[in-house]
Amino acid sequence: MDITSLFTQFLSGLTYGTILFLVAAGLSLIFGVMNILNFAHAALWLMGAYFSYTFWNLMQEHSFAFWLSIPLAGLAAGAVGWVMEVVLIKRIYKRELYEQLLITYSIALILSDTIKLTWGVTNKLIVRPEMIRKPVFIFGAPLDSYFIFVILAGAAVAIGLWWFLKYTRYGHIVKAAVFSREMVGALGIPIPRIYTWVFTLGIFLAGFAGGIQAPIGSITLGMDTAIIIQAFCVVVIGGFGSLLGTLVGSLIVGEVMSFTILFWPEGAMVLIFVITAAILIVRPWGLFGTPMRT
Amino acid sequence: MKSKFLFPAALFLLAVVLPYIVPEFWVHVLTEILIMGLFAASFNMIFGYMGQLTFGHAAYYGVGAYTTGLLMVKANVPLLVCLPLSMLSAGLCAAVLGYFCVKLRGIYFAILTMAFGQLVYYIIFQWYSFTGGDNGLQGIVPPAFLGKAANPYYFFTLIIVTLGMIALWKISESPFGYTMRAIRDNAERTEFIGINVQRYMHLNFIIAAMFAGLAGALWGPFNRSVAPDLCSWQHSGMPVFMAVMGGPFNFLGPLVGSAIYTLLMAFVTSFTEYWPMVSGIVIIVVVLVMPGGLLGMLEDKFPFLRRKDDSEKGTEG
Repeated sequence: MDITSLFTQFLSGLTYGTILFLVAAGLSLIFGVMNILNFAHAALWLMGAYFSYTFWNLMQEHSFAFWLSIPLAGLAAGAVGWVMEVVLIKRIYKRELYEQLLITYSIALILSDTIKLTWGVTNKLIVRPEMIRKPVFIFGAPLDSYFIFVILAGAAVAIGLWWFLKYTRYGHIVKAAVFSREMVGALGIPIPRIYTWVFTLGIFLAGFAGGIQAPIGSITLGMDTAIIIQAFCVVVIGGFGSLLGTLVGSLIVGEVMSFTILFWPEGAMVLIFVITAAILIVRPWGLFGTPMRT
Repeated sequence: MKSKFLFPAALFLLAVVLPYIVPEFWVHVLTEILIMGLFAASFNMIFGYMGQLTFGHAAYYGVGAYTTGLLMVKANVPLLVCLPLSMLSAGLCAAVLGYFCVKLRGIYFAILTMAFGQLVYYIIFQWYSFTGGDNGLQGIVPPAFLGKAANPYYFFTLIIVTLGMIALWKISESPFGYTMRAIRDNAERTEFIGINVQRYMHLNFIIAAMFAGLAGALWGPFNRSVAPDLCSWQHSGMPVFMAVMGGPFNFLGPLVGSAIYTLLMAFVTSFTEYWPMVSGIVIIVVVLVMPGGLLGMLEDKFPFLRRKDDSEKGTEG
């Protein structure tokens, strides 16, 4: 095992971790603020990938189509998320845990079939522009040139969210709501409206992540079922509602997957669940979460 | 006969008569209702009676199914011997995994059970040499005395499921069952009156897993095969749907829920492939419109149906 191939493995783990981060960031945000574990998150991520395909397909003759379709996918998914929140999720904030889980689970089922109805069962492929078709070499390690964009986009989202939470008024409200919703409400801030927009933002991120995912391989039905569980693991490892935790959690899961595949390919997922279970047992609130939430 | 046994007795009579009336396809559906009903009732020992949501109960169902499948295919062990062994293996798994789960409550309990469920799923999925991996195990045939027709295996399932349900009923009506309700309604106070809450929860978790294992053991010979999907988190969602549809605060609620869900699925899938969407809409309607499930709603509408000894939820959650 030489350094270069280890580095290749590291880069592939980093890419996978970035994608997980993009999916899990919204999941973590939504759980942190509203205490809703959104089973439908990955279905919306997949929908984002399909939206991205549709936008790209519509604008194919333009050179910017490939790049523009990614944020557009986020916006379209965000719109779906907004409707979801206003029509359904709003009604279940005060309901019991199992009712919330069942509702988001049901939404996931409905969305998956909606995707099947809308886009059909054939795989969709987005053709990449010329500039990102060849691999680049970093210290001799080959890397899909699109992955550089993926990693940069992940970093941009991480920095953007961090900036939003740290320096904007709405970010402060969101952070306060993670800590104590009652207190924020008591200060006269309209909690329902904050919830709607946090949910929409979370789903926007899921759709954006789907848009980023779309050109990596072909877009297929059922891609979402594996990633939702991994995103749950990321959020559990990092801690619900913690942006830094989600980032660290995704990199841990991405790198563990990537390196386990080298010497024990069957054990990659098993190891992820062992780590997740261990964290839950020792620190249920995750590496960077706050222990006061129950 | 006391009136509280009227409904179960009527259900049992119906279950005995129906296979002679309906076509063979529906006998298969009835068998499935019974197996899933026992699975959902075992899940409800944790959910309705202990007040914790497990999203990994299919793991124990799957362990039971694989125990019977492996013993029958690889060692030719008779089915009747496999059944208790499946309960044992599922119970042993739950003894280890449940030990950690009962340390947590609420959402963390749900996620940890799910993580363990996925762990079991991936172990079975990846262990090709032993479990057949994603190919599953084929050629699990019911014993010769049950023949090839649908009816004999149905009646065999009916007997086992009835015995299982009676055992679960006895447990839920025992002092142990009432301790579970106390833990559900207020774990802190239960601890204060000198009950080791964690140990009781652990024991209940093992019992629930054993009966899930029994239900799983019945599945293999019924379906002639087992697959890793039996352990997946999607499959863990099924007893949740069933319990919530039928009513988690009635002992027979999960069984009734299994009947509704399975019949609906058999009916809907006969003309459309979009069963997930239909089931999703049904579940949303159930959760929003009748939170107590079908039996809960009937009891609200017709108070004379209400029984004192039911697992009615206390005022403190």
